[in-house]
Amino acid sequence: MKYMLLFIKNEEAVSDDATQSAHYAAIDEWFAEIGRDGKLRGGEELQPSNTATTIRFQEGRPLVTDGPFMESKENVAGFVTIDVADLDEAIAIAKKWPPKDQAVEIRPVVNHEAMPHHPVG
Amino acid sequence: MVNDPTGEAMNAVFRAEVGLICGSLVRITGDFDLAEDLVQDAVVVALQRWPVDGVPERPAAWLLQTARHRAIDRLRRDSTYRAKLQLLTDGWAPDVRADPDDRLRLIFTCCHPALARDAQVALTLRAVMGMTTSQIAHAFLVSEATMAQRIVRAKRKIVDAHIPYRVPGPDELPDRLAEILASLYIVFNEGYLGSGPDLATSRDLCVDALWLCGLVARMLPEEPEVLALLALMRLHEARRATRFDAAGVLVLLRDQDRARWDHAAIAAAGALLEQSRRLGRPGPYWLQAAIAACHAEAPTFDETDWPQILALYGALVRLSPGPVVRLNRAIALEHVAGPVPAMEELDALRADLDGYHLYWAARAELLRRFGRLDEAAEADRRAIELTDNPSERALLETRLEPTVIRATSANNN
Repeated sequence: MKYMLLFIKNEEAVSDDATQSAHYAAIDEWFAEIGRDGKLRGGEELQPSNTATTIRFQEGRPLVTDGPFMESKENVAGFVTIDVADLDEAIAIAKKWPPKDQAVEIRPVVNHEAMPHHPVG
Repeated sequence: MVNDPTGEAMNAVFRAEVGLICGSLVRITGDFDLAEDLVQDAVVVALQRWPVDGVPERPAAWLLQTARHRAIDRLRRDSTYRAKLQLLTDGWAPDVRADPDDRLRLIFTCCHPALARDAQVALTLRAVMGMTTSQIAHAFLVSEATMAQRIVRAKRKIVDAHIPYRVPGPDELPDRLAEILASLYIVFNEGYLGSGPDLATSRDLCVDALWLCGLVARMLPEEPEVLALLALMRLHEARRATRFDAAGVLVLLRDQDRARWDHAAIAAAGALLEQSRRLGRPGPYWLQAAIAACHAEAPTFDETDWPQILALYGALVRLSPGPVVRLNRAIALEHVAGPVPAMEELDALRADLDGYHLYWAARAELLRRFGRLDEAAEADRRAIELTDNPSERALLETRLEPTVIRATSANNN
């Protein structure tokens, strides 16, 4: 069962360099652990939301605008996809995410192979 | 057949059997949503048939057989669940056995923290206790459509998000158990704070909550907070008969007829608390139960051990700080240190509890102690505005009237 973990960060909060590098060391260790267990299916850290560009469709016509889909001081700062047995395992991994000033949203990934009307391959 | 079964006879059967049957069907099909639906269908059929035909001699077998017929019906109509339903219709008998662990797993699934609390409560009552959606909706004063939607959403989430069907390991157990206990206490309180057994649902939620808490205590006998919650419920239950007068008006603790309390149950709850204390550090339920025990064991209201109650509330505030606990502590403080420090505490809590009727009720009581009758009447009016509970309103209204008369005559003098 695949889940995406979305890391939500308050972009207005600033942390000093020492805190930052401590975070990164702990995050590296977190990635190493789930990687070792063979549960990691990729992920990325994202640039802040002021770099975002959003495409909306108005009557089918694409409209390009500056900024994220929703203005908020809390935004997705990164994501990983993991492959684990069930929600409890995903929760256990998310609970260990080192930056305690962030939130982690867990979203189950749709399994297209299980859908008869949606052939794969 | 047992002829002319009472509601309670049927409820006892549902309590004893539904969780076991539902649990084993979840295990066999691996699909919580489907299994729970089949069992619920069987319960609905039983509620129609048993009052006419009587409760069958082997009710578990009857419910299983009925669920099986539903599975066959579904198989004919709907191919989506073919593989899962085939499991039930072919190799049915050998796999279905009453395994108490299935029921415990089921409780943990229903009370998973990824589900909202009101959904946890509703799912537990349906899947484990065999209540119908309509009964649950009545008990919690929401429309049947709202309750049905709440249950459907929660069940879809269990399936789609892969919420597991198992008893959590030792690391997770304390947090996960706390979820179950919180849901059970909500069920109990809903029954306790309402006006007794709800005739519309024919289910007494206090009895259901006590039964289920007793079951969890038997299955997890080393968990101190389970025993503590059981003791807490039993202490409340022991006083339940005296909480209302003949006219259905709420009677305050101070005015309750203590001779009519169930003193054997109070003593048994005390022993349970001792047992819980030996198993671990006192948790929030232990402290609440110890406070309830202080009240229940006092021979008269005036002989209540208020210093002990104040100390217990102090510990509770440290363990689970919150304005409602502090409000209760302030009431104990009044009995120990007088109304002045209690009023200071109440003033400090006002911003947090402005919309809480019992804050205003407590404030009115205190204002009467100071002789500030106009303000007391005003506070009682706020309390009345803020509650829908008919028996609480009735009590507040009966004491508002003399306060207003006294306030008016005091103002005239």
